[in-house]
Amino acid sequence: MCGIAGRILAAPGRVGADLVDLMDAQEHRGADSTGFAIYGLPRETGYVLRGMGFDKSRQGADLDAFEAVLKEHGADFLSDPKILTDENRHYCFRMEISDPTDLQAWVRDADELTDRIEIQSCGRSLEIIKDIGGAEGVSEKHGVRDMIGTHGLGHARLATESSVLPNASHPFWARPFSDVAIVHNGQITDYFTWRDKLTRMGYRFLTENDSELIAVWVSDQMKAGLTMEQALKKSITSIDGVFTYMIATPGGIGFAKDRFAMKPLVVVNRNGDLAAATEEQAVRRVMTEECDVINYDGPSLTGIWGVGNRSLAA
Amino acid sequence: MSNAARQTDEIVIEVGQRHIREVNQDIMAACATGRPIRVVNTLSRHNLGVGLPDNVDITFEGSVGYYCGGLNTGANITIERNCGWAAGEGMAKGHITIGGYAGMSCGAAMIGGTIHVKGDAGPRVGVAMKGGNIVVEGKIGYQSGFMAHAGRIIALGGAGESCADALWQGEVWVAGGIDSLGVDVDVIEPTPEEVAEVDAILDPLGLVDSSRNWRKLVSGQRLWYFESRDASAWLMI
Repeated sequence: MCGIAGRILAAPGRVGADLVDLMDAQEHRGADSTGFAIYGLPRETGYVLRGMGFDKSRQGADLDAFEAVLKEHGADFLSDPKILTDENRHYCFRMEISDPTDLQAWVRDADELTDRIEIQSCGRSLEIIKDIGGAEGVSEKHGVRDMIGTHGLGHARLATESSVLPNASHPFWARPFSDVAIVHNGQITDYFTWRDKLTRMGYRFLTENDSELIAVWVSDQMKAGLTMEQALKKSITSIDGVFTYMIATPGGIGFAKDRFAMKPLVVVNRNGDLAAATEEQAVRRVMTEECDVINYDGPSLTGIWGVGNRSLAA
Repeated sequence: MSNAARQTDEIVIEVGQRHIREVNQDIMAACATGRPIRVVNTLSRHNLGVGLPDNVDITFEGSVGYYCGGLNTGANITIERNCGWAAGEGMAKGHITIGGYAGMSCGAAMIGGTIHVKGDAGPRVGVAMKGGNIVVEGKIGYQSGFMAHAGRIIALGGAGESCADALWQGEVWVAGGIDSLGVDVDVIEPTPEEVAEVDAILDPLGLVDSSRNWRKLVSGQRLWYFESRDASAWLMI
């Protein structure tokens, strides 16, 4: 059991605060880790990176190695990296970098460092914040309530298939594609079969979390040229298990549900002002006026909600 | 309902962000008075009114979350709008009216009483039910009646995919279209006597309509015992 949420604002605003509320209302579904994917106002050039290093005592050496790879790819920090540490062994970072010559090539090389330091999101507007702990705790540590943006995702994790580790929290970035994130509620039963197949194709898995598979699988489909809508539909017959997952891009949020209709999704959509969550009581935290909820309870459902008063849910 | 229309001796219980255990303790205390109960500001919260006793009249204003009215032992429960998963799960006796949409697994494993859904019902309504009746004015969702052992699901507005899948001994009655049947289902034309039985269930709800074209879905009984030759029939997708 996990809890997921999506939020699209009618106009850029305090999307971080709403996502914290959505996840706080679902903390009972999984309190071991919480994460957020927030789409801020997009920058024209350069990327924001979010991620973590696993041993804060090696922070200096990690960042030097990271910077060296960045420079090899013709990019540099645009500002000093912001580092967040607490009593935990891992540390979290936020960096602003200029454009590498070839983003995918740089991500591939930077991923050589993932036993020490790991990029967890890369985007013109996407920032993924994830950590161990509940919604309010993670929010307080990372200042999520103050984050401004257009839309985003949230996740509360109850680890059922792999360990509780800070980097095994959701959302997952669909590396190496900038600005794509997923959250997932469910279990992928053919995880190892798919993981094997994708690893042999050269994809890198950084955790043992089955949800990471969806992010990597979607990356592969995007590489093959599928649109989000096509990838969502294809996932229902390609990936085995029970799931509701949401995928976000700068253009909006899509969702897919498994063919057994095992995991819920509740949505309030008021002309593009949209809140989606696993549980109705969560959407009612942010949609406080009486409103109609849509229960996407059926099997094999997909849909895409656009940002900016565009609604294409099917 | 407006305040003026409320019964004057009614006990009003507020939910809001209070702990559900506290709310349910208040509900139980109110049940002991024998007065009608109105639960307000429900905010789609879970586990409201579980295990309610006989001779109780309780209304939940707005929508409720999961398991509302579960393990009911005789209360007359009204949910004004929608309910989440498994309303009336395992109920033995009583009556639940759901004004809007009933989420997944409504009436799961119930053994008696009646659930009346005025809107549509989600997937697996009446899953594993062992008695009682579920009347849905709208459409019933995917795999409704899955492995029902006894009792009746009566859908007045059609049925979704994989209807009555792996039904055991219960019955699914459908007026209107059926998107697809589940495995091992027989569709039979009910006799006038059987229709009269169903009308007797619908009559107190004011839902009798003699023009309905009923289909009664029962188990084909082929999968009651697993035989390896039938393995492919189990692979429904």
